[in-house]
Amino acid sequence: MSALAQTLMPEAQACADDYEATRKVGLQRLMQHGFPDQKTEAWKYTPLRVLEQRETQTEPRTMGEPAALPAWPVAGTLLHFDHGILQCDPGELAEGLTLMPADPKALEQRDFDALYGGREGAFSWLNLARFDHAWHLQVSGEHTVIMATTTTDAFSADVHPRIRIEVLPGARLTLLQDQTDAGQGLVNMNCEIDVAEGAQVEHVLCCKNHESVWVQRTDVDIHKAAEYRVVAFDRGGRLTRHDLTMRLREGTAHGEIDGLVVMDGHQHVDWHTEIVHCTGHTNSREAFRMLAGGTSVGVFNGRIHIFPDADDSHSDLNTANLLLSDQARVNIKPELEIYSEEVTASHGATIGQLDDRSLFYMRSRGLSEAESLALLKYGFAAEPLMQIQTPAIRDWALEQLKEAL
Amino acid sequence: MLKIKNLHVSVEDQEILKGLDLEIGPGELHAVMGPNGSGKSTLGYTLAGREDYEITSGSIEFDGEDLGEMEPDERAAAGLFLAFQYPVEIPGVNNAYFLRAALNAQRKARGESEVDGVEFLKMVRESLKGLDMDESLLKRAVNEGFSGGEKKRNEITQMAVLQPRLAILDETDSGLDIDALKLVAEGINRLRDGQRSFLVITHYQRLLDYLSPDHVHVLSDGQIVESGGPELAHRLEEQGYAHLERASA
Ligand SMILES: Nc1ncnc2c1ncn2[C@@H]1O[C@H](COP(=O)(O)OP(=O)(O)OP(=O)(O)O)[C@@H](O)[C@H]1O
Ligand SMILES: [Mg+2]
Repeated sequence: MSALAQTLMPEAQACADDYEATRKVGLQRLMQHGFPDQKTEAWKYTPLRVLEQRETQTEPRTMGEPAALPAWPVAGTLLHFDHGILQCDPGELAEGLTLMPADPKALEQRDFDALYGGREGAFSWLNLARFDHAWHLQVSGEHTVIMATTTTDAFSADVHPRIRIEVLPGARLTLLQDQTDAGQGLVNMNCEIDVAEGAQVEHVLCCKNHESVWVQRTDVDIHKAAEYRVVAFDRGGRLTRHDLTMRLREGTAHGEIDGLVVMDGHQHVDWHTEIVHCTGHTNSREAFRMLAGGTSVGVFNGRIHIFPDADDSHSDLNTANLLLSDQARVNIKPELEIYSEEVTASHGATIGQLDDRSLFYMRSRGLSEAESLALLKYGFAAEPLMQIQTPAIRDWALEQLKEAL
Repeated sequence: MLKIKNLHVSVEDQEILKGLDLEIGPGELHAVMGPNGSGKSTLGYTLAGREDYEITSGSIEFDGEDLGEMEPDERAAAGLFLAFQYPVEIPGVNNAYFLRAALNAQRKARGESEVDGVEFLKMVRESLKGLDMDESLLKRAVNEGFSGGEKKRNEITQMAVLQPRLAILDETDSGLDIDALKLVAEGINRLRDGQRSFLVITHYQRLLDYLSPDHVHVLSDGQIVESGGPELAHRLEEQGYAHLERASA
């Protein structure tokens, strides 16, 4: 067993509760597959050294006061995960929102092997073995939910929040996910979103991470005539890894991903996205941008997978990246896996630097070098955030972007 | 206003301007013509302060100050404006926002008060109308996807709003249709007030017919080889530059 397994799975057995059978599966797979190393293709550019060198505590968790929350641009129902624990009274939710523990039997019946695979999915298996609660939120009607994740300076534990959000037929959900951290722990989050027939979801994921390690997996299922749009605004972290998988399950499902990563210093940000067209007559698009300054390292792996017989599916993937310093690096890999012929799928990828000609043009009009650079970066970075449909959230995100540049 | 003496400029160690002399007084309009590759744009870029355009000898004085010592944005605030031969596209940066930011940056540098949104819009609208330019161009990203002629007119809009003391127009007439050329010429003439000066780089005498320049210069191989009045432009239009090449060969 690796050193990482020793720290993260010390008791080497699942705790006994209603979820025992599920946890056992998680634990067994984790033992069987182990944690990824640099020979694991999906983790090639993201070494886990930072995590290995840290001593995370499993028990007891020092928590104290929950972290202070920022002001958000929209009113909504708050789900606050503080140190991985949801601070919420299920009885106090707005009408149409139902929060409950996940059904243990339903979890047992899931085919997680198909979802998480082997070693590359180690953290998902770990989450399954070690989650504190598995939550299930049902949404009907029209709602705004703010899902905040925080930790405080004293944080040194490893936590494994888990939630499934089920957006019922015809419902509309605006989900603002805002996460930040303090301390030096591990947050290993698992989020599932199911968008039922005719439902619509706008998902805005904002993260601004620091020294804690973040591993986050989001699995989205989109059904008939349903729409899911996510805009991720990631301001980097010491070591962060996101796996975002969007499955277009039924005809006329529509999914979009827009992503922006702004990183600096010695941050390391890894995004693996996957769009799966399980059936025909489905549409998707993805645009992902990274701005890398300092000695930061960015990884973007964008995969489009179109199943055989998924005829009349259309997908477009575009990634553009800016290196702001000589030492910054980005590793970009668009992957098209297409097994159907009657489809259109395209991808484009660029890595560049700020254009001297643009800089001179702006300065020749009177803007200082610093102003010109900030404006150029903003011009590049604002594009993905412009895809946010809710004006108040869009303006808020753009304002944060200005601060970040 | 502008005094250029024995100017030598190298780009990437290659000498492009080879001892250029030019003096422009307040209120004057000078035209510079000359064959492709003779160094006209290089002169414009050098005046605007583009990096990598190294002044190896000679001097440029603008209102008594050494232009070579100033940053591009300082030159702009001092009243120098270059309309680019190839205006640059800046994706994601709103055209109106950019122009207002530039105007206010200049004003701030000169210790003047900033212009608010309403006042600014009034200024831009006026100059757009004069150029028969669609207001929707203000909402788009700077020059992005603009047609060639729209880009040129956008440069003139910027000039009209920024009100420079010396405007260098690098082939602003190239790519304009006949009507647009007339509008651009009118736009330039509107700014002529006996104080403001112009350096107009062009290949065609048509624009000069509208502008009636005070002086016309011929730039060849990095030097001014001939200067005269408007009649020089007419002669060049008829004869071309062949005689120059023969002379220098
Ligand atoms: N970065 C560079 N490196 C080397 N040579 C350069 C560079 N930039 C310009 N030159 C050369 O300098 C010379 C003058 O160029 P310039 O653009 O000033 O010409 P011009 O007179 O404006 O021509 P045109 O009428 O075609 O616009 C050309 O021979 C050009 O190839
Ligand atoms: Mg030129």
